[in-house]
Amino acid sequence: MKTCKDSIDVLLQYLDGELPAEDAAALESHLGCCTPCVEFLRTYRATTHLCKRALAQKMPESVTASLDAFLKERLGK
Amino acid sequence: MGERPAGLTFSRHGYPLAALPPESDARPLDGLLARAREGDLSAFEALVAATREQVYGLALRMMGTDADAAEVLQETYLSAYQGLSAYRGEAAFSSWVYRIAANHCLMRLRHRKVRAAAEDALAEPEYTPRGSLAGMPAEAWGRSAEDDALDAELRMAIQRATDALPEAHREVFLLKDVEGLSYEDIAGMLGDSVPAIKSRLHRARLSLREAIDRFYNEKGLQPGGQDGI
Ligand SMILES: [Zn+2]
Repeated sequence: MKTCKDSIDVLLQYLDGELPAEDAAALESHLGCCTPCVEFLRTYRATTHLCKRALAQKMPESVTASLDAFLKERLGK
Repeated sequence: MGERPAGLTFSRHGYPLAALPPESDARPLDGLLARAREGDLSAFEALVAATREQVYGLALRMMGTDADAAEVLQETYLSAYQGLSAYRGEAAFSSWVYRIAANHCLMRLRHRKVRAAAEDALAEPEYTPRGSLAGMPAEAWGRSAEDDALDAELRMAIQRATDALPEAHREVFLLKDVEGLSYEDIAGMLGDSVPAIKSRLHRARLSLREAIDRFYNEKGLQPGGQDGI
């Protein structure tokens, strides 16, 4: 019988679709009877999504201007 | 009708503009790229304009300061311009320039004395002695994953948690999960194996997941922090 720890250790491979069929089946049967792991999987996936949004950045206009000036100078125009 | 002569194949047919697939499939910049390779500077400038926001975002996340990010941006496009003739167009321009930027960041980070990366900075889930999860995730998770506006406090908590990752884990997490590079590209850039990259990515995700969970739990404990049901 798989433990929660066994299941969580292979989540990345599982989500990448790279877990061997037998292991994926064992994981799914654990998920079938373990609510904490179902919730863990859901929040593990949401982590990437949230981080991506939290780390979004806007480029200041001054950077655009200095990049333009730099490229004009270095690429010769 | 005869075959189109080789070498004259960059007509603009093919992509109905209303339904552009992601760039990895459609590669809408290919026409500009062909012109830039022939020395058309304005085409190169248009390529820069189409990709610089993304490149800047990568540089700022990786480097942490505006000044460094702005320098990486300049180095990246200078390298790209100089490399145009050698670039065979196997990857979309945006992916190619993205990899150049990631490499410039990694080179700079190698030169920077990065604070010793303690592995114990990585948070992990808590288990009982029998290997069962010790607790349930905070209830607030379901709500914000799809919310339009990301709470400013959560944004800051995530930024702090990302900064606190050991450098080797931070780089892999940013390059794969935030920037969307492939495992193979990242392994090549870092000189590591793909399994090693995946293992660091998993540990980084676990650590960030714990940080977000802690944030929600603490917030839920504050008066007024819970919306109620
Ligand atoms: Zn479980």
